[in-house]
Amino acid sequence: MTSDEQPIRVMVVDDHPMWREAVARDLADAGCEVVATAGDGREAVRRAPAVAPQVVVLDLNLPDLPGVEVCRQLMLHQPATRVLVLTASGEHADVLEAVKSGATGYLVKSASREELLDAVRRTAVGDPVFTPGLAGLVLGEYRRLAAEPAPADSRAPAAPQLTDRETEVLRLVAKGLSYKQIADRLVLSHRTVQNHVQNTLGKLQLHNRVELVRYAIERGLDDPA
Amino acid sequence: MGAKERTGGSFSVEKPLWRAVSAFRLLTVVYAAVSYAGIAGHFHDRVAGWVYLGVLGLWTFATVRPFSSHQRCNWYWLSTDLALCVLGILLTRAFDSGPGLVAGDPTIPTIRAAGAVLGFAVMGGWLPAAVAGLIVGLADIGEAGGLTRSDLHNIVLLLVAGIAIGYVIEVARASEQTLARALEIQAATRERERLARDIHDSVLQVLSMVQRRGAEVGGEAADLGRMAGEQEVALRTLVAEGLAPNPSYTAPAIRRGRGRDRGSEQPEAVQDLRSLIAPMAGARVTVSAPGTPVLLPGRTVTELGAAVSAALDNVRKHAGTGAQAWILVEDEPDQVMVSVRDDGPGFDSAARLGEAEREGRLGVSQSIQGRMRDLGGSADIFSAAGQGTEVELRVPRPRAGGGGANGKSDRSREGSST
Repeated sequence: MTSDEQPIRVMVVDDHPMWREAVARDLADAGCEVVATAGDGREAVRRAPAVAPQVVVLDLNLPDLPGVEVCRQLMLHQPATRVLVLTASGEHADVLEAVKSGATGYLVKSASREELLDAVRRTAVGDPVFTPGLAGLVLGEYRRLAAEPAPADSRAPAAPQLTDRETEVLRLVAKGLSYKQIADRLVLSHRTVQNHVQNTLGKLQLHNRVELVRYAIERGLDDPA
Repeated sequence: MGAKERTGGSFSVEKPLWRAVSAFRLLTVVYAAVSYAGIAGHFHDRVAGWVYLGVLGLWTFATVRPFSSHQRCNWYWLSTDLALCVLGILLTRAFDSGPGLVAGDPTIPTIRAAGAVLGFAVMGGWLPAAVAGLIVGLADIGEAGGLTRSDLHNIVLLLVAGIAIGYVIEVARASEQTLARALEIQAATRERERLARDIHDSVLQVLSMVQRRGAEVGGEAADLGRMAGEQEVALRTLVAEGLAPNPSYTAPAIRRGRGRDRGSEQPEAVQDLRSLIAPMAGARVTVSAPGTPVLLPGRTVTELGAAVSAALDNVRKHAGTGAQAWILVEDEPDQVMVSVRDDGPGFDSAARLGEAEREGRLGVSQSIQGRMRDLGGSADIFSAAGQGTEVELRVPRPRAGGGGANGKSDRSREGSST
């Protein structure tokens, strides 16, 4: 949890100055290094390479670029950066898209300061930050993919599937249990629970990338000309 | 009538009509002059006739501007115009010698008089036009010294034309007003929506902020923060449902095949279960659901929603008002599952179920379990000490009911995955 030796490098992207400043101040007070703040998507995408943040705290509701697009471009240029989505709108489709395109955490803005700090720290070390709401969305997405008719094209990747254990863990997350409670209930280690949760995201993101590539090839978008 | 209000006179239909009236007046006054030149020989006071025509011509050309639009015109201009024409008609008798009249010569202003009537029509509609037409008609009769056949013919024509054009202008004006109002409303709505989006977003931010800071400060501020949080969730739900094209409200009415086991009063349209569950979210209630609509028959949605409400009531009653609750909606191919969990003290389910039931802790028995049984589903309650209590509601999808409506529920699955 602690990262006292080296402060976490954070970039805050939010179009509301009041909120942006408050989040930046909270993070700075807690010992993070706020390397940049940005008020819109283009600025964020432009500045991120220079400041190389470990964690981008990203509002999905931006004036110029859709937050999902910002997330995609950040991940494209800097795969090492981790994106924590922090949004007021709780717009489900957006959150799911952002997570599929690489965000590893999601928090609503009404979360407390401790929750935010904890989320940033966990995001920095690569732990996915799941709210119950996000777990519900991810569960729903797996079921949606499973229910889709099998693609006629045999080259198409099979829909990703959750193992029974992963489903179980994800359901418990969605029901508001903490990792520790889940570990107790399923008689697993805390680390194992974390791994399961991470896998559920990883598979979804991988599937999304494969789908994107396939789509690009189909449309001839991979042709550099 | 109703002509006093100066409504959008600059609009499309009225403008050309005014221009037509203007042109009509100019052309007819020229025609009157030509016509008079032809028959001037019949008049014993030829010069007086020319003088009158000169005045009328001057007046007509001088008033082109007032007669060019609704805004510039008024009843004084119109009345003067009419009076001048009527005067001309009456003067015809004074200037003319007997034989001309008998021969049915036209009056000095001739059809220029119709210009005055049309002015009334365009200005005020059919009634003023009819009145003006009648006045001209009476003047004609007076001039002729009696009602002749051709006079009657002309008067009727004049009246019909005046009334028809007056009526047309009224209809045009009314429809223009309606159109203008519609455009206004449309613009206002668009602006309001834009504002609402911005404001909602800002308000959400502020409410979240109040909630966060309130919780940090503690005490009374914490209460404020909690209230702000509740409003934030409520508003967020409202915004998400109101602005996004939410399929839950426009879900296509997918007809069920044969629902023999269900009552025929069951609403056939499918509904999104989320639209009923999502508003239950609050400071102490978290709702998790898939991102796609969870479609179920309307009655099932209503009953399931009621059961979830009952379960939430249970939480409040037995786990305390401070307890947190989580609602999870799961959409599986063959069933829909809703679980309601709280973080209350819980109980050891096996040992204390009977006791709990006595306490009424499982109000589940009646209101919840009864409802679920009616839907062909089930309600289970379990608890682990220290991990709260969980109620799990399951409803089978229509497809599970045998070969009855499988094709249809396939379609509903597809609908939910788009």
